[in-house]
This record gives sequence, structure tokens and C-alpha cells, in this order.
Amino acid sequence: MTYFSYFKAEFLVLLRRKQDVINALLFFITVIVLFPLGVSPSPIFLAPAAGGIIWCALVLAILMAIESMFKEDYNDGSLEQLVVSGLSLPLLVLLKILVLWSVIVIPLLLMLPLLSAMLYLPEGSFWVLVATLLVGSPSLFLIGAIGSALTVSLKQGAMLMLLVILPFYLPVVVFATGAIKAAQEGLPYSGLLAMLLAISLLSLVLSPVMTAISVKASVN
Amino acid sequence: MSWAWFHKLGSPRWFFLWTKSWALPLFCLGMVCLLLGLVWGLAFAPTDYQQGNSYRIIYIHVPAALLAQSCYLSLGIAGFVFLVWRMKMAPIFINAVAPIGAVMALMALVSGAIWGKPTWGTWWVWDARLTSVLVLFLLYMGIIAIQNTLEDIVLADKAAALISVLGLINLPIIKYSVEWWNTLHQAATFTLTEKPAMPVEMWMPLLISVIGLYLVVAGLALWRMQSYILEREHRASWVKQEVVGDGL
Amino acid sequence: MQSIVSLTISDLWIERGDRDLCKGLFFELKSGQVMRVLGENGAGKSSLLKVIAGVIAPLEGQIQYAGQDVTHDRKILQQDAIYIGHSAGIKSVLTVEENLRRYYPSASADELEAVLDNLSILDLADTPAKKLSAGQTRRVALARLWLSKKNVWLLDEPFAALDIKGIALLESHIEQHVLAGGLVMLTTHQDLHSIQSYDLVLSP
Repeated sequence: MTYFSYFKAEFLVLLRRKQDVINALLFFITVIVLFPLGVSPSPIFLAPAAGGIIWCALVLAILMAIESMFKEDYNDGSLEQLVVSGLSLPLLVLLKILVLWSVIVIPLLLMLPLLSAMLYLPEGSFWVLVATLLVGSPSLFLIGAIGSALTVSLKQGAMLMLLVILPFYLPVVVFATGAIKAAQEGLPYSGLLAMLLAISLLSLVLSPVMTAISVKASVN
Repeated sequence: MSWAWFHKLGSPRWFFLWTKSWALPLFCLGMVCLLLGLVWGLAFAPTDYQQGNSYRIIYIHVPAALLAQSCYLSLGIAGFVFLVWRMKMAPIFINAVAPIGAVMALMALVSGAIWGKPTWGTWWVWDARLTSVLVLFLLYMGIIAIQNTLEDIVLADKAAALISVLGLINLPIIKYSVEWWNTLHQAATFTLTEKPAMPVEMWMPLLISVIGLYLVVAGLALWRMQSYILEREHRASWVKQEVVGDGL
Repeated sequence: MQSIVSLTISDLWIERGDRDLCKGLFFELKSGQVMRVLGENGAGKSSLLKVIAGVIAPLEGQIQYAGQDVTHDRKILQQDAIYIGHSAGIKSVLTVEENLRRYYPSASADELEAVLDNLSILDLADTPAKKLSAGQTRRVALARLWLSKKNVWLLDEPFAALDIKGIALLESHIEQHVLAGGLVMLTTHQDLHSIQSYDLVLSP
């Protein structure tokens, strides 16, 4: 196995399993629909809340997508093969996260214009929303991968993983929604984007190593 | 400097025998301090000129909140020690202390809420401190949940250690984000967190009860660790000797 | 392939859950040798292979390969070894060819075709692995043994689910491999017909 052949195969697997990706996107839309129906459909409520609603839905959808990222590899023995491949496990894990991130986040970005219009997000802050998604979402995937690798041996690991990982997502949600809100109120928001970027970079350093430790402990 | 003590700490047997006689005295001494501090604080300390008697809950609230944070700090350190040096005692420590920390965080939350009612007029305010203690409580519950759910003990130990370390790295970020978020959203709420300078008769009992609670928790933690050691090392001959010698 | 290599296990102690699977295990396996690991169910045959492959860490002991201590960093061994476990790491949504390309991207089309033909799974090359039978999946996994140029083979129940023809095919391939200087460790309950093997019996 080489890094490139692994990357290619991972991509191919996700393309063949496109229903999983579509499910995550549908889940995202469904959560968003809950808010106008459950709280209020009026623009007075939705416009200031739009950034928050989108980010809450985003966090849940990403968690659902990541939860099972190692499951099949664990069951079919691929995870063991990665460990014994002689290649760097953190790097392999990082490649896997990268593939998943691109497959989930790109369609999300394409859906954003429609969804933010439906939630009356002010036009001026749309690009800030896109920016928060781009710099913030990598950390969600990176942190989530650790939880996913730790709970992969469980048959019903989703709830546990949500419980363990969600608190770690809070700062990302706070800064991302804060940046969108700041943009809506005409305040500077670049500092908040920098915070998001810093969190993503920190998780980029820590997560592959920690996920590799978790994978090794799980295939034990 | 000799590192022998550090390596000895890693041996459950050495730890058990060394701390066997410590738990009870620590716990009793702590209880005495705690009771002294509480009785002094609740009954004899002067009344606050702004808040009347309701401030007295700090004699429970502050020690609990301090312990909640200290326990988490120690979990993170233990997790790090386990991941780097694979010290056998570290997961036992995490196992033993996480529930205590969770109880402390819960006590801090509940006493905070009780304090909030007469002073803020509401049980709960999305104040930065309250929120971050709530998140701390959730982190504790996550560690406990992952320890209890994973059946493979090696995996469970590693998972709890990883989450503890991760939490320790994340705690300042969470705290900062919540504080920042709070100033953005809640600028108008009461800020009671700035306490007026206290007279000695007020802070002395507080200090005593803080020390007392620390000692109580240390005693409890030792007890819990000792029983985990016996459980985990039940195949070792020294454990058999220990149990048979004491019990049968 | 290298001329002579050896895999030395000394004082190996493996613990699973609460049980010692083996303690103080010592053996040496050289080029040209086959070792059959025997034992009852749960005696730790698979675990031993996993420990050597580097999936599980041993509690104590040393593993040396080609004169180097690889106990803590298994990379040198892993780069020269192939491990095929119970679940063989075949992705169900990928086709047979894609699965093998995942492991051997540099294999030429002719080479791949010859191997698949040899294992009589050539006409399944474009079939997704999930549509294969257990025996066919096993053949796909074992095809890696024909494609790889690695010295050490660690095979966990390689004959499981294979038919008589498949077993004969694999046996003769193992024989060729050790003749060429490779070394093989396998777990099986099968008697090997054409191969001289050393037996390691694990008892609980």
C-alpha cells in the first residue's frame, strides 16, 4: 500500500457509498427545517439566528457523518491492515479525514446559498458564514475522528461518541456564530476567524497522532 | 535528584501498601476541617452587608468549584503521564477521581443555582462561570461514560486518558470562548462574581473548609484507588495475601 | 529477496484481558522455514500473529528481525512482512481489481491478470467484493501473496473457506515461497501435505 493508493481507494469507497454522504446532507437540511417550524418562521427571529441555526445543524450532521468513519474498516479488517502497513498511521488517518472533509463540506457549501436565503441571513454576512465553515469545519472533523476511533469497537457507539465529543465542539460553535453575529452588527470579525483557524491548526497537530493511538487501542 | 519515587508510584503494589494507612486519617482530618469551616462560616461569620445571609453558601460553593477544577487538572496530568510513560497507576487514578470531580462540579452548579435565586432572582443565568462549570461537568460525564462503556480495559484506559488530556488542552479554550461569548451576549446581566474584599472572619472559615474538602477528596480518592488496585491486580499473590490476611 | 533472514522471538509474554496467553515464549524462525501455530480455540494463536505483525503490543519480551530489535518500532518488519488476518481487509464496495490495486498500485495489468487467472477469479475482476462468496473473498485476500515481494508471511487461518483446489494451490505457493528463502508463520487445524513445518503448540 502507498499513501496515494490508499487515498484513491478511500475516495472511491466514499463515492460508491454516496448514500451515506447524501444522508448526512439530508440530516443537515432536516435539522435546519426544525427551527422555523419549531420556534418561529418570522424573519425577525430567523435573520439574527440564521448563523447559529446553520452551525448547530452543521455540528450535528458532521458528528453523524464522522461517527461511522472507521466502522467498516474495523469490521472488514482494513484498520488492522493500516496498522501493519509499515506506513505512518497518523498520516493515513489524516488522509482519510481529508477525503471525508472534502466529500462532506463541498456539497454543504453548495447548499449554503439556498439555506441561508431560506433563513433570511443578511447578504452581507453570507461570506463570513462561508469563511467560518472553511476555517472552522476542519477542526470538527479532526476532533471527531478521535472520538470515532475510540468508539469504533462498540456496536452502538454513536451516543457515546456524541456525548464525549460535543463539549469539545463548543468553542468552535461559539467563535463561528460569534463571527457571523459580529458581521451582522458591523463589528470586526477577523479576530474570531483567526481563533477558528488557530483551533483548526491546533487540532491538525494533535488529532492525527491521537487518532492513531485510538485506532491502535481499538484494533487491539 | 532521584526518580525512584516516580517509578515506585507506577507500581500498584507499592502504591497500595504505601497509602494503605493514609486514607482514613486524611479523610477524618478533612472532615474535621470541613465541619469546622462550615459551622464557623454558616453560623458565626459576620453577615454580608449587601447579600445578608445568602452569601453563606460560598462556604460550600467555592470549595466545590475549586475541587471540580483541581480534579480535572489532575485527570489531565494523569492522562498525559499514562500516554507518555504508560504508568499503571494513572488509569486507576482517572477511574477513581473522575466521579468525585463530577460530583464536585454538580455541587458547584447546584449551590450556584441556590445562591443565584435570592441574589439574581433566578435559578440559572448563562453566566460565563456557570456555563463553563456546566461544560466541565459534561466533560467529566464523558470520561466516566467512555470508561464504563468500553469493555476492553486496555482500550477504556487509553480512551479515558486521551479524553482527559484533550479536555485539559481544551479547558482554557472553552473558558475563554465562554467568557468572550458571555460579554457579547450578556453584557447587561448582574455581575456578582466580583466579590467585595472580605474581612478575615469571612475568609478564614472559607480557607479552612477549602482545605478540609481537599483532604476529604484526597482520602476518598485513595480509598477508591485502593479498591481499584485490588480489583485489577486480583491475580497477584500480594493481593491474595492482603485480602486473606485482613479478611478471613 | 534477501538471502537469509531470521525472526527471533524471546521471552514473549502476551496477555489478553485477564489471561496470559503465553509467557516466556521463545523461538527462532529462519529463511526457508514454515511454522504452524497450533492450539485450542482461544489459546492465542491469532493474538500471537497479531503481536508479531504489530497490531497488539506484547506485555514483555523481544522481537528481532534480520538482526534488529523491532519490539518497539515494527517498521522494518512491517515493510518486509504481509499479515492476513481473519477479516482480510477487503473493501466490500470496491471491485476485486480495485481492492488489489489498493495494496499493490504498481502491479502491472499483465501481472494482475496472471495472478487472478491462477486463482481462477479472473472473471470476477470487476465484481464488487460484496458479491463474492466467502471462498472467493479468501482467494482475493490471498492473491496478495502472489503479488507481494515480501519475505515474511503471517497468515491467520489462510485455508479457511478454501476448497480442495484452493488449498493445494496455496500449499504449493507457500512451498515455493520458502524454497525461495521466505519464512511463513500460519495458524491452521489443517494438516499440511507437501510442506515440512515446525509446530508451535500454545496451551492455555
